Amino acid sequence: MNSRSIRFRLTVWQATLFTAVFVLLGTLLYVQLRHYLDHSLLDTQSRRARQIAATLLGKAGGNDERLAAQIEGLYAPELSDRFIRLTRGDGSVFYLSGSPQDHAFEPADVPLARPPFTRESARRQSLPGGRVLLIAAVPGNLAGGASCLVEVGIDGAPVEIMLNRLLLLLGLGLPIVVAVAAAGGYGLVQSALDPVAGMARKAELITQHNLTERLPVVRSGDELERLSLSLNHMIQRLDEAFQQSKRFVADASHELRTPLTILRGELEELAGDAALAAGQRERIGSLLEEAERLTRIVEQLLTISRLDAGEAQAEAVTFDLAALAIATAEQMAQLAEDRRISVNCTAEGRVMVEGDRARLKQVVVNLLDNAVKYTPVGGEISLRVAAQGGMALLEVTDTGIGIPESALPHVFERFFRVDQARSREPDGAGLGLAIVKAICQAHGGEAEAESAPGRGSRFRVRLPRAA
Amino acid sequence: MRILVVEDEPKVADLVTRGLKAERYAVDVAASGDVGWTMASTYQYDLVILDLMLPGIGGLDLLKRIRQRDSKVPALVLTARDATASKVENFEAGADDYLTKPFAFAELLVRIKALLRRGPVTQTAVVRVGDLVVDRMTQQVRRAGRRIELTPREYALLEYLATQPGRVFSRTMIVEHVWDQSFEGLTNIVDVYVRHLREKIDAPFPIKLIRTLRGVGYSLADDSAG
Repeated sequence: MNSRSIRFRLTVWQATLFTAVFVLLGTLLYVQLRHYLDHSLLDTQSRRARQIAATLLGKAGGNDERLAAQIEGLYAPELSDRFIRLTRGDGSVFYLSGSPQDHAFEPADVPLARPPFTRESARRQSLPGGRVLLIAAVPGNLAGGASCLVEVGIDGAPVEIMLNRLLLLLGLGLPIVVAVAAAGGYGLVQSALDPVAGMARKAELITQHNLTERLPVVRSGDELERLSLSLNHMIQRLDEAFQQSKRFVADASHELRTPLTILRGELEELAGDAALAAGQRERIGSLLEEAERLTRIVEQLLTISRLDAGEAQAEAVTFDLAALAIATAEQMAQLAEDRRISVNCTAEGRVMVEGDRARLKQVVVNLLDNAVKYTPVGGEISLRVAAQGGMALLEVTDTGIGIPESALPHVFERFFRVDQARSREPDGAGLGLAIVKAICQAHGGEAEAESAPGRGSRFRVRLPRAA
Repeated sequence: MRILVVEDEPKVADLVTRGLKAERYAVDVAASGDVGWTMASTYQYDLVILDLMLPGIGGLDLLKRIRQRDSKVPALVLTARDATASKVENFEAGADDYLTKPFAFAELLVRIKALLRRGPVTQTAVVRVGDLVVDRMTQQVRRAGRRIELTPREYALLEYLATQPGRVFSRTMIVEHVWDQSFEGLTNIVDVYVRHLREKIDAPFPIKLIRTLRGVGYSLADDSAG
């Protein structure tokens, strides 16, 4: 999955957020529960200790055995897993409960309490063997008034076990929660973004040639509906702008024709004037050449705008592209011969295409003319026509100066010149290749160029093959 | 021969009129469709040249009206518009020929002559220009009795120039006749082939027959006799 897609990022965000919340809540629960349990257990122990201090110490008088018997009778520490210890003010223990039945801990392991005993306290006492006792200590007075410390403790293991189980539960729950959150998030985002993917797919198919098409509108009443409507409005405005610019080119070209007629006509008449001095004749000739060039540009612009408008195909006949290409190369042979450029034509049998013969011939003419122009004296041009799957391939390769990589994507654009100095022919307006591309596209085909600067270029045209 | 020119652009009308008068045609000019219709229905013309975009009655309507009244007069349409659809429309309306602006006057004259001749052009089998002989039957070319070998395309070029000796053919006309419309915009090909033709036809001889009128075109003529 693309790590920058909204789908991925939202899913990751959602999973992260859920994990964070879960971990936070779990930690809070664990800490609070542990605190509460410790506290309440210690509370119970201190109450017991206070009870012993208040009720038993005074009565015992100094009789340790009686006191021990009373504690055993009342609290049965060994049976209830309790720890009870009574320590005199001088630090000597005068009662210590025995080991619990399961020997979960050894009361003798608990370090001695150190006097003076003045305040109540509560503590977690770790014992060797990893056990923990929760011990509450309460100071009291013996019958004689001597100070004494009552300590009551209980095994912390059950609490630990419970808390550990909770921790285990939380730990096991975490991946499940993350997985559910991620899957849920992904599904949610998926269902929200599916219309967007649909729009993107459609939008990618829209080019300047099918601007009349529109994106699917999601009738959901939400932001996506608004987005699809906005995009459609934008495409409509683009369409209008394109139409306008095409109309402008066509209209401007048409408007230029009448003044050009006058210009050419008047100049031609002048040029035929026998009384003209040679120098004047030359100048008028030069003007006429420029008028001719203007005419050519206007005609080529019109050709392109008609092709763009889809009205340039005068006929749709099935014919052999290979034969057409070879015949065309023969008609232009002298152009190449003059520059001692050899032209090799290869065709693998008949390659039938359907379309306007004159237009497709123009493709061959323009490509060959282009190749001759940019190939130095003594170079080579090869023309190849072949069937390639469902397409007819026409390839013109030259050993010319080539096209710099930066210019390659633009060679089929109108008025594009690789650089001014390369344009050896003054009559080129940079429209020949644009016409090639427009004709190919009008026939459902494509034109492309590749080049190794200094070694040559290859122009490739693909047209749908006719049965 | 009387020709009616219906053209609202005065300079174009003037240009065509002058050129035609120089060729000894009688020319009337109408600057609108209505005037054109009045004149066409009043006088008997041998040819009508009309623009399509006219004030008043449009060019196509005028053409249809003329056809309804007189089906025979040849009509040549001049237009700045040339969408394929309108071309078909023109012929359906009764146009005999069609010329897109801007045109070389020589081209207009060739079309006019073809229309006025009515019917197939009878061409002589052998054309002589000075001491150059072009035999259309055998496609052989001789000059001063000497046989000259030409490539097929050189021959086609020479034969085209020889159809009207002395007439200047524009490079566009030559491209369209000797090659075809697919070569539009490639007029330098004409210069290359003319140069080769010259090497064979003119170079070995003192009198040059192929003439260049810079910016206008080429012609085949023998000026030495005049």
